[in-house]
Amino acid sequence: MLRLLLLVPTTTYRTEDFVQAAARLDVDLAVASERPNVFGERLPDNLLTLDFNDPEKAACEVAALARLNPFSAVVPVDDRTTVVGAAIANALGLPSNPVAAVSTTRNKHQMRLALGKAGVPSPPYFLFTLADDPARAARTVPYPCVLKPTILAASRGVIRADSEGEFVAAFRRIEAILKTADVVALGSGSDEILVEGFIPGNEVALEGLLVKGALRVLALFDKPDPLDGPFFEETIYVTPSRLPGETQTAVADLTAWAARALGLREGPLHAELRVNEAGPWVIEIAARSIGGLCSRTLRFGTGLTLEELILRHALGIEIESLERERRPAGVMMIPIPRGGILEEVRGQEAAKAVPGIEEITITIHQGQEVVPLPEGSRYLGFIFARRETPEEVEAVLREAHGRLEFVITPKSG
Amino acid sequence: MAELKERVQALIENSINPAVAGHGGYIELIDVKDNTVYIQMSGGCQGCGAADVTLKAGIERMIKEEIPEVTEILDVTDHASGSNPYYSPSKG
Repeated sequence: MLRLLLLVPTTTYRTEDFVQAAARLDVDLAVASERPNVFGERLPDNLLTLDFNDPEKAACEVAALARLNPFSAVVPVDDRTTVVGAAIANALGLPSNPVAAVSTTRNKHQMRLALGKAGVPSPPYFLFTLADDPARAARTVPYPCVLKPTILAASRGVIRADSEGEFVAAFRRIEAILKTADVVALGSGSDEILVEGFIPGNEVALEGLLVKGALRVLALFDKPDPLDGPFFEETIYVTPSRLPGETQTAVADLTAWAARALGLREGPLHAELRVNEAGPWVIEIAARSIGGLCSRTLRFGTGLTLEELILRHALGIEIESLERERRPAGVMMIPIPRGGILEEVRGQEAAKAVPGIEEITITIHQGQEVVPLPEGSRYLGFIFARRETPEEVEAVLREAHGRLEFVITPKSG
Repeated sequence: MAELKERVQALIENSINPAVAGHGGYIELIDVKDNTVYIQMSGGCQGCGAADVTLKAGIERMIKEEIPEVTEILDVTDHASGSNPYYSPSKG
């Protein structure tokens, strides 16, 4: 029986989809997290605890375990485990990206350096640290610009500034985020702020699979809501893209170029690009699949999920088809209307009744705090739809969202 | 089948619940039908970001190892209604 090691942070959104995919493949499943599972002592071969922030140590520990009970594949499920995943796979001699390549994708400044060196179209960029004087820094950058932490994901801490005053305010706001305990714990890069020239245009997301260095495009998502700032809260993703075919080809070609420039060769890839009259621009590339629960929009061949496809690729199991189903699909990452305590989400049945809506999942529990961007690090929930055209998908997502009412009360204290 | 249900119940009571109690969780056996075990998670397990790991790589493996007649374990929990999950997901 094939033996699979999933690297699953205890706080990832990706657990259910990857674990369910593994169950459907009938493999011997082992799961490693950064904290002990309650059954870890009873089942030490299948429930591991690894320090994800120490890839070398984690790789040594897994290699020792693998000598007795070898792994067929190691799969990191999200951003936080891509580097340790590459380190373990390399230690075990399994197909993987080079550790250095994955590490580069985990730091936005390092990624900009690598892409710039290869000539990949990129915005101008400047690196500052929290030790820098923001007022002085504000005088050295072009406007409009975008300030972002180098090591956070999913638009957390990303703020546009159109003037020196806005720059200083954004810098201070990001500084507060970088000083929170969960960010400080990330270590290297947690005191860095990258400033990029703002690239106007439509944003798209490319989901791909690298196979021996060749990029296979799995899906291209349009993001129909403008992402012009001051914060960059992602909402609707719809696939297939409505961009002209030649533009889609240019997006795919640029993504492949960027992946080569970074040294990525194997496994899932998620890229964010902007498209304007000058062509496509790479905003970010990650050596992982799409985040949150968004992968549920995707089905391949005769119904394979994205996670099954990723696991099959890693395990060397035949994949019948990498073709996404023909039917347009989309997801709305439900915008957070305001901060506070989530008391109730009303109208869910009415929203589910909108034709084409497949699922609504609220991921913040009743009584938990909701925090908007740029500080927030959690999704409020997701709405999924399938329809006959991308336009209809977008329309029914908006209609369903309009039927939801969020009861959020101010946080006491 | 009644005997099988009793064995599963005993395993849950003696080995599984004492472990998940460490995270404020509780597993209830709902039924055993045609060698399929139906369970429900509550407390810290309900809505927990690691619930699937605990179920598939922990509970399911323990039950199948101890009681090989069991072919499947199904979770019937309404995880969305969990009010005190031990782990909550974040974007990282």
